[in-house]
Amino acid sequence: MNIMLKLENVTKIYPGAEHIKAVDELSFDLPEGEICTVVGPSGCGKTTAMKMINRLIPMTSGKIYIDGQNVNRLDTIELRRNIGYVIQNIGLFPNMTIAENIAVVPKMKGWDKDRITERAESLLELINLPPEEFMDRYPRELSGGQQQRIGVARAMAIDPPIMLMDEPFGAIDPINREHLQNEFLKIQDKVKKTIVFVTHDIDEAIKMGDKICLLKAGKLVQFDAPETMLTEPANDFVSDFLGGDRTLKRLNLLKLKAAMRPDPPVIMEEESPEKAKAMLSELKVDNLIVVDAEKRLLGYVNHEALEKQADEVSKVARSTDSFMPASSSLKDGLSEIFTHDLGYLIVVDEDKKVLGVLNTEDIREILRR
Amino acid sequence: MEARAFSPVLKKLIPVLLTIIIVAWLYKFYGAWAYTMKNLAEFFRLTFEHLLLVLVSMAAAVTVGVSLGTLMTRKGFDHLSPAIMGVVNVWQSVPSLGVIALAYGFLPLLGLSGIGVVPALIALFFHAVAPIVRNTYAGIQAVSKDVIEAATGMGMNPKQILFRIELPNALPVIMGGVRTSTAIIVGTAPLAFLIGGGGLGFWIFTGIALMDMGIMMAGAVPVALIAMLADAALARTEKIVVSKGIQAEEYQVAM
Repeated sequence: MNIMLKLENVTKIYPGAEHIKAVDELSFDLPEGEICTVVGPSGCGKTTAMKMINRLIPMTSGKIYIDGQNVNRLDTIELRRNIGYVIQNIGLFPNMTIAENIAVVPKMKGWDKDRITERAESLLELINLPPEEFMDRYPRELSGGQQQRIGVARAMAIDPPIMLMDEPFGAIDPINREHLQNEFLKIQDKVKKTIVFVTHDIDEAIKMGDKICLLKAGKLVQFDAPETMLTEPANDFVSDFLGGDRTLKRLNLLKLKAAMRPDPPVIMEEESPEKAKAMLSELKVDNLIVVDAEKRLLGYVNHEALEKQADEVSKVARSTDSFMPASSSLKDGLSEIFTHDLGYLIVVDEDKKVLGVLNTEDIREILRR
Repeated sequence: MEARAFSPVLKKLIPVLLTIIIVAWLYKFYGAWAYTMKNLAEFFRLTFEHLLLVLVSMAAAVTVGVSLGTLMTRKGFDHLSPAIMGVVNVWQSVPSLGVIALAYGFLPLLGLSGIGVVPALIALFFHAVAPIVRNTYAGIQAVSKDVIEAATGMGMNPKQILFRIELPNALPVIMGGVRTSTAIIVGTAPLAFLIGGGGLGFWIFTGIALMDMGIMMAGAVPVALIAMLADAALARTEKIVVSKGIQAEEYQVAM
């Protein structure tokens, strides 16, 4: 895999505070298309580390390479134009319309007008803001969440390979933040940028990161995928920082697909209730999932339901809401299990075809691994 | 709905109309109209001189004021700002008449004439430059640090940041300074006559000296009209040059 961003012994000492290394010999490699969340207690140097990449803060020693090029050898202005930059307080230009805000970097790069307009429109569509409604509005006419989405769109204007994001969702209320995070991950699935994402929120770091870079007093403590960090914290500081509930945090990370038991016993809708009864006692289970010819979920039957007279199980099947798509998180799945009296969750794909089942035992099993 | 939209306009209009009618009546009653008609050529010459005083000193004050105010926000010059602000504030606090007198008394010390149009222009310029310097400085300082950081991080150079971000966003505040300065200059310009600067002050002071209300008003009324027109013109300009994204809400079209 191509290493898009490489930090080599990067150190920052601020003038006037020579005894403190704000960033101390930081090294890591970030492959192309991955998000690296930089997290740590306040004052750990995470923002400083990020700002040395686009040279908003000059480094004291060390080397940073973007796609193999040493950033110190590049023209500062040109370097910054080729890196998408999103800050916590958004910093949209209030004197410019949304279209003009997005056009800033393309214009400096000498794009022609039609290309800029086309790009702005497709970016607004990407972030789910209708272009015809938003292009000519001014930042102050937008909500905080909308402004932040424009901030992200503006940073992606020239399709830069690398983006730096400094607590981009930090100033957004929790409900909107979660929405923006999910939306951003969906966008990232499409655009596959290499992103350095600074945050102070460990949950956000776990959720957004393909890699987490955990800093303490300027030093790198652990650089790993979230799942690895949660299962194998390098030391006590890491496990403390992850929190006592780090096992539960893995619920957020793991998908239903990973924990479910595939190919559960099912019965076709047109089968007879007698066959269903026979299957129930043979398999020693309480419920059977009823499906159609395409294996799509219709409902379930249990002994009680089968008491009624009918010629096929579809007539007596009970409908249920206790199902979720396989891409949902285990956390959502667990919550759903507790909500419904079926006692387990039916895992389906986008077409509602039954893929597997999941109960609390299965979740316990995967967390113990 | 219509009655509501109508009444505020009417409320504003009635006092204006009333003032115009009273002034026009006084203008006619004291014979200012007749005097102006009799000396039409002189009226045009004095008005021209007056406008020249106002426009030239305004242009100089805007150019120097905006440049100086901007310079004070640049790195390396920022430590000079308290000194510069001190000087311009002192100049502004000297009474109008004092500024004129100072020009008259001080310029000869520099080997320049203390009499004529140039000393008048210099006096007006110095008297009016302070609000523009102060507002330019404050306006640029008030541009959000986040906006500047975003601009820097996106790869704008300092010149682009100044002309595309800082000055456009400071413009409403700068325009406020320009309007204050204009009011000061228009109000002080008649005094220019006292040091030979010409203008409509000639009729005002002649009228006072002769205790002739007609001659006095023949000069005073056009001066007042110029003041009103200048302010209206600047308000109009502000609407055009200031981005709709940062104009005061009252200008906004309801969304």
